[in-house]
Amino acid sequence: MADSAGAPRPSSSVKLVLLGEAAVGKSSLVLRFVNNDFQENKEPTIGAAFLTQKCNLPQRTIKFEIWDTAGQERFASLAPMYYRNAQAALVVYDLTKPTSLIKAKHWVAELQRQASPGIVIALVGNKLDLTSDNAGTNGEGEAAGGDEDARKVSTEEAKTYAEEEGLLFFETSAKTGYNVTEVFTAIANAIPETSLKSARGPGAAGAAGRSEEQRVNLNGPRDPNAKEGCAC
Amino acid sequence: MLNLSSFVQKAQQLLDPTQGLNLSDPDRNPSKASLFQSQFRLPSSQHPLYEITAELTIPPANATQGDKDRDTGFRYAGKLHISESYLCFSTTGSSFLQSASTTTSSIFTGQTHGGGPSGNGFTLPLCSIRRVERLHSQNFQFALAITTWNGIGQDDKGKEKKDQKEQRITLQLAAPRVTCERFCDGLKKGLRAGVGNVGKLKKVVSECYSEYLLRPEDKKNATPPDAGLGMMFRYPGDPKKLRDRAKMRLWAEYLRDNGRNVTLLRQPTFHKLIRVGLPNRLRGEMWELTSGSIYLRLENPTLYADTLAKFSGQESLAIDEIEKDLNRSLPEYPGFQSEEGIGRLRRVLTAYSWVNPDVGYCQAMNIVVAALLIYMSEAQAFFLLSALCDRLVPGYYSTTMYGTLLDQKVFESLVERTMPILWDHLVKSDVQLSVVSLPWFLSLYVNSMPLVFAFRVLDVFFVEGPKVLFQVGLAILRINGEELLDATDDGAFISVLKSYFVRLDESAHPKSENPKLRAVTRFQELMVVAFKEFSGITHSSITELRLKNKDSVLNNIENFAKRTAIRNLGPDSKLLSTEELGALYDRFYGVLYERQQRDLIIKQEQARRAKSSRSRIADMASSHDQAVEKGRVGLGPSTSLMDYDAFREFLASMSKWAISDSPATPRRETFSDADKGFYGSLTKRPDAILSPWGAGPEPADHEFLRRLFVKWDVSSSAALTLQNVVSGLARIKGKRDIMGTINYFFELHDDNGDGKVDREGILRMSEALLFLSRRGLEGTLSPANSTLTLSTMGDGSQNDVSGQTVNERFLGSVSAFIRRCFEYADPDHPNNQPAATQRAKVGAEPTEDQLASPDAFAIGDDDDEDDLLAMDSPPGSPKAAKRAAAPTSQHAPSVGRDSLSTATSADPKDRRRVSKAHSERANIALDPSNPLHITLPTFRMVVLADELLEQFFESSFPSSFHIIEGLSSSSATPSSSLTTFSSLGLGAGRAVGAALGGAPGAPAGGRGLRGVLDNIVTDGMRVAQEVVRRMEEAQKELERNALPGQRNEEDEEEDEEDPITPGAGKSAAYRGDAERRSVRSSDRDLLMGADAEASDVALGATGTGRPSVGPEGSNGNTSGGTGKVVGVEFEG
Repeated sequence: MADSAGAPRPSSSVKLVLLGEAAVGKSSLVLRFVNNDFQENKEPTIGAAFLTQKCNLPQRTIKFEIWDTAGQERFASLAPMYYRNAQAALVVYDLTKPTSLIKAKHWVAELQRQASPGIVIALVGNKLDLTSDNAGTNGEGEAAGGDEDARKVSTEEAKTYAEEEGLLFFETSAKTGYNVTEVFTAIANAIPETSLKSARGPGAAGAAGRSEEQRVNLNGPRDPNAKEGCAC
Repeated sequence: MLNLSSFVQKAQQLLDPTQGLNLSDPDRNPSKASLFQSQFRLPSSQHPLYEITAELTIPPANATQGDKDRDTGFRYAGKLHISESYLCFSTTGSSFLQSASTTTSSIFTGQTHGGGPSGNGFTLPLCSIRRVERLHSQNFQFALAITTWNGIGQDDKGKEKKDQKEQRITLQLAAPRVTCERFCDGLKKGLRAGVGNVGKLKKVVSECYSEYLLRPEDKKNATPPDAGLGMMFRYPGDPKKLRDRAKMRLWAEYLRDNGRNVTLLRQPTFHKLIRVGLPNRLRGEMWELTSGSIYLRLENPTLYADTLAKFSGQESLAIDEIEKDLNRSLPEYPGFQSEEGIGRLRRVLTAYSWVNPDVGYCQAMNIVVAALLIYMSEAQAFFLLSALCDRLVPGYYSTTMYGTLLDQKVFESLVERTMPILWDHLVKSDVQLSVVSLPWFLSLYVNSMPLVFAFRVLDVFFVEGPKVLFQVGLAILRINGEELLDATDDGAFISVLKSYFVRLDESAHPKSENPKLRAVTRFQELMVVAFKEFSGITHSSITELRLKNKDSVLNNIENFAKRTAIRNLGPDSKLLSTEELGALYDRFYGVLYERQQRDLIIKQEQARRAKSSRSRIADMASSHDQAVEKGRVGLGPSTSLMDYDAFREFLASMSKWAISDSPATPRRETFSDADKGFYGSLTKRPDAILSPWGAGPEPADHEFLRRLFVKWDVSSSAALTLQNVVSGLARIKGKRDIMGTINYFFELHDDNGDGKVDREGILRMSEALLFLSRRGLEGTLSPANSTLTLSTMGDGSQNDVSGQTVNERFLGSVSAFIRRCFEYADPDHPNNQPAATQRAKVGAEPTEDQLASPDAFAIGDDDDEDDLLAMDSPPGSPKAAKRAAAPTSQHAPSVGRDSLSTATSADPKDRRRVSKAHSERANIALDPSNPLHITLPTFRMVVLADELLEQFFESSFPSSFHIIEGLSSSSATPSSSLTTFSSLGLGAGRAVGAALGGAPGAPAGGRGLRGVLDNIVTDGMRVAQEVVRRMEEAQKELERNALPGQRNEEDEEEDEEDPITPGAGKSAAYRGDAERRSVRSSDRDLLMGADAEASDVALGATGTGRPSVGPEGSNGNTSGGTGKVVGVEFEG
C-alpha cells in the first residue's frame, strides 16, 4: 500500500513454479528470462532454485518469484513443497520428446488437483530451435505443417490439449530466446488482479499476513486490500 | 477399506525387524549387532561375538622402545569386543545388550565422549594384528600385548628398521578366568581366520596417504597414494589460511604415536584434531576411517574396479541421468572442468548405481561425490558413498527421498523446540523451512557453504554422524535469527542465508575490542554454536523424532505416489472410477507389502531357529541386515511387481471365486512354492500370520487364474505391474459391455490367438465358468427364482428342478454350453466334415455327438485324476485304458445313459467293460484325429443363447471383482458352500465323501462322475474310478504331447501329493489342485447333466440319488470343508 502511493506502477509479487521432466529446459527458460542468458552447464537444481525477475506490464509491475524445481523423477515428491501457494506454473515439455509431454500432462493434472485453486498454468514446449519451424515465421500456436525434423510433438496436439485444460500455450526456445519473455508476460497478464497483492518491499507492513490474504484472494474477487493496492 | 498404513501398523506390531534405515521399530529396540556395527562403523557382516571388560594401556609417546614406562602410558577402561574379523575397544560401556535401546546407544554417537566411532579406543581388523602375547600381570588374570601391522604399507626393505617402532598395546582383561579364556579362544580363532586377509589389508593400506606421510624422508621418492583431485588441481582454499602444514605436522605426530589408518588408536586428541579441520591430504583417509567405509573397502578391495569392469559398456537410466549432471558438479572447481575429474566422477557414480540399483543416481549425489573426489581416490569415494547411502544418511537419495523428507520434518521439530520464536515467525509468515534447509542436508552443505567450510562440516559429520547436519543447521538459524525474523517470505529468507554463507570467513565480531574475539570467524562461531549450544542434539533425540514423524512422512509420500501412479495408469484406467483405482492401488501394494512382510517374518523365524539350534552364528545374524520395512511404497523401490502367487492373493482379496475351497489348516504347506522351506517350517506355528497367505483366505490356484495372469502380463515378464492389473481389470470391469466381456473371455482361452478355441479350450472355458460360479453368482441375474443362498443348498437340492436356485440353474447352463459348443464347433479337418454336418442337422437332439461330448469333457480332464485313481485300480488296467483310447468314432447310444444304466450293476468288471465300450463309442468330439474348434462368433452365439450365461457375462462376472469394498470376512470364509455339481450332490456326495475320505490318495476334490455312479450302485466308487480312469488314461495318452508344459506341472503336483498324505490336510499346492479337481469333477458331472437334460432319462434312472438337478453329481469334495458340510447335510 505504501508502494501504491508513490510508484508509477503498482508492483505485485507472483509466485511461479516450474515443473516438468528432467532436461526439458526449465532452468534454461528461467535463466533466459532472468538473465537473458543461455548456459550449457549449470549446477543441477537440488530441490529447487529460487530466482526473481520483474515483468513490466502497462498497468503494473509483476515481480516473479520463480521456483525452478529439480526435474529428476525422484524429486517429484518434493514438488508439493514448491508449488504450494503458487499463483502461476510453467509446465515445460521438450517438443522433441513425446514422453515429456506425458509427464507435463501429469503435472498439469497434479496442479489442477493439488495446487491453489485459480493457479495460472502455462504449457510450454521448449527447444523449438531444434525443429525446422523455428525460423520464427509462426507466432504462438500455429499448426506446423512440416514436422520431418527433431520435433516429435506437434503444435496441434499440445495446443488442443492446452485448450481442453484451459492452459496458456507456448512453444519456446530458451537457446534463442524465442517466445520466452512472451510466456512470462502472458502469465503476468493472466493473473487475475484480485489475486495480486502489493509487493513486499523491505518495509512492507503486514506482510506476515500475506499468505492468508493470498489464499483468500485466490478464491474470490472481493478483497479490498488488493484492489486498493492496484488502484492507481 | 484397505489402507496401506494399517497394514504397516499391523505388520509392525508383529515384526521386530532389525536395523535398517533407522526408521523402523528396531530403532526403539535395535539389535545388538546393529548397535555394535554403528558404534564401531563396521560393515553389516560383523557381529559382536565376545565382549569383556578390559583396560587398554597405550604406551606413552616416543617411549615405544623400552618397557620401563609401561605403567605410565595412557590408560582407558572400557569394553573389548570381538566380531568375526575385528577387535574393537571402546571406553564407553557396552551398548548392545539385548535390552539396549537407542537411548543407551546414543552415548556412542553423542559428542566426543563417545563421539563417532566409539570414543577412545580402536577398531582393529584382526588381520592387522601381528602378534598377541600373554603377559604376566599382578592386577589382572589376563593381560594381552597386541602388536599390530602398523606400517605394513611400507616397503619391506625398511622393515627391520621399522620393527623397533612397532605398535604395541596392552590389554588387561578383567573377568573371571573362564570368561577370559573363552574370549582368548575366540580371539585366537579370529586371528587365524584373519591371516588370510593380510594381503587385502596391505592393498587397502597402501592407498592411504598416511603410509606415505610417515615414510622417512629418504624413502619419499615413491609416488604418494592418490589423495584426490586436490593433488592435481590444488585443494580448495588457501593452505596458508587453513594452516594446512601445521595441521599436517600435528597429524603426523599423532599418527606416529597412535598408529595410522586401520591401526589407529583413538584418543581425545584425535577428536580435537578433527574439530579443527583435517589437513588436505589426510582428509580423505580420515573420512573413510571415521565413516567406516575403509572397512567396506577392506572387505572387498576390488569391488569398485570389478563393478566397473563387470558393467562396462552397459547402459541404464541412472547413467543417462548421471551424464546430464557431470558437467555441472562443483563446476567452479578446476578439477571438474577437466576430463580427469569428470571421468572420475562418472565412474564413481556409475559404479555405485550398479551396486545399488535401488538408489541408482540421485541429483545431489553428484555434488557430494565431487566433493569427496577432491580428497580421495575413486575407490575410496565409492565406498564412502556406500557408507553414506546405507548408514549415514539413509533414504536421502532413494527414489522417494523419504530420508530427506523425514529429516526435514525432524529438523523442523528441532527448530520448533529450540527456537520457538523463530518457529512462530516462520509459521506466521508461511515460510517453509525445508525449502531452505533441504539442500543443506541433501548435499551435506557442500553447495550451500563455500567449499572450505563445507568440508569442515563434513570432517565432523563423518566422525559424529548425521546429528551434525542438524546441529549445524540449527546453529545457522540461531546465528541469523534476528535477520530471519525480519524476513517474511521464502525469497527474503533465502537471501538472508545466502548472504550469510558468503561471509562465513569474515570475523564474527568485527567490532570487538578484543583482537582474539575479532579473529574468530563466522564459521568458527558457527561450529561453536553448533556443538556447544546444540550439544543436546544427539543421535537419540534425532532417532526419536524420526520415529515420531516417520509415518506422516511416509504417508505423504505414499499419497503422492498413489496420486501420481493412478494418474499415470494410462487410458485404460479411465474405464475405472477413481475410487476403484485408488482401491486397486491399495490392494496391489497392500498385497505386495504384506507378502514381503510375511517373507521377512519367515526369514526371521528361520533365523531364530537357526540360532536356537546353535547353527552358525554368522548365518543367523545375516538375516538381520536387510530387515527393513521392505515393500512400503514410501521407502522407495522395493518391488512393484506382482508375481503369480501374489496375484492369486490379490484376487482372493476381492473375488470370492479366487479363494481356495480348502479351509486354512495349520498343516497346510506350499510345496509348489519356491521357498517351501521357509513356509514348510512355518506351518508348524499355529499363528495365522505365519501361514504363507497371512491372515487372509487362501487363494485358489485354478487354471483360469493362470490364464488371467498370463493375459494381463502383457510384457511376458512373469510379473504384473499395477498398470497391467488396471488394464486387465478395466477390460473386464470397465466397459460393462457384454460383448467386450465375452470377447475377453474367449481371448483368454484362445491360446495362439488365431481366433479359434479347440476342444481342450472349450473344456477349459467351461471349467472356468464353473470355477467362477462355484461360490454363487453375483450381479444382476435373471429376475426369476429366488437367489437362494448357498447355505440352503441342501434344501434346494431336495427340490425338484423347478425350484432350483439361480446358481444351480447356472450349472445347467454351463452344461448346455458345452453341449452347444461341441454342437456348433467347426471341424479343423475336412474328414470331420460329415460328422459336423450331421451334428448341425441333429440340432439339440441328444445325439451321440452330444452325448459323447460330455465324455469328451470328462476325458479332457486333466490326468491328475487318473493318477489318483490309478492307485486304487487293479494293476494291468492301464493297458486296457490305452486300448480304449483308440478312437473309434463309432456312433453309439448315449454314453451317459449307458453308464447310468449299466451302473445298476455293481460289478467292477462290468464297469470296466462298460467303460471300454464307452470309450470306444466316443465320437468325433473325442477324436483327436478329428480336431475341432469354435470361433468367437460361435462362442458368442452359444453364450447369448442362454439367458443365464448372458447375464453372467453381462453382469455377474464383472461384478465379481469387488475392487473397492473387497470381500467381507463372511464371504471370504473358505468353507462357505460352493455351487458345483459336486456340492449339489446328494447322498452320493456323502457316500463318496466318506468313502474317499478314507481312501488313500483320493481325498481331493469332487469326483462327480464317480459320485453319480455311486449314487446308483452301492460300490459305485470302484466302478466310477474305473470308468474315469480308463477314459482319462486314454485321454492322457492322447494329450501327453499336446500341452507338455502344463501337464508336467500338474504331474509334479501329483507326485507330491499322492501317496503320502491321506485325509484332508494337504499341501497348499495340493489344495489348489483340489480346487481345480473339484471343478473338473463337476465338469464330469456335467456330462451326466447334459445327458439328463437331453434324454430325460437320467432323473428317472437315478432315482433318489439326484432329485433336484440333473447335472449334479455327488462328489467328494472331501478335502475342503465344503465336502464335509455337504456330506453331513445329506447324511442319511
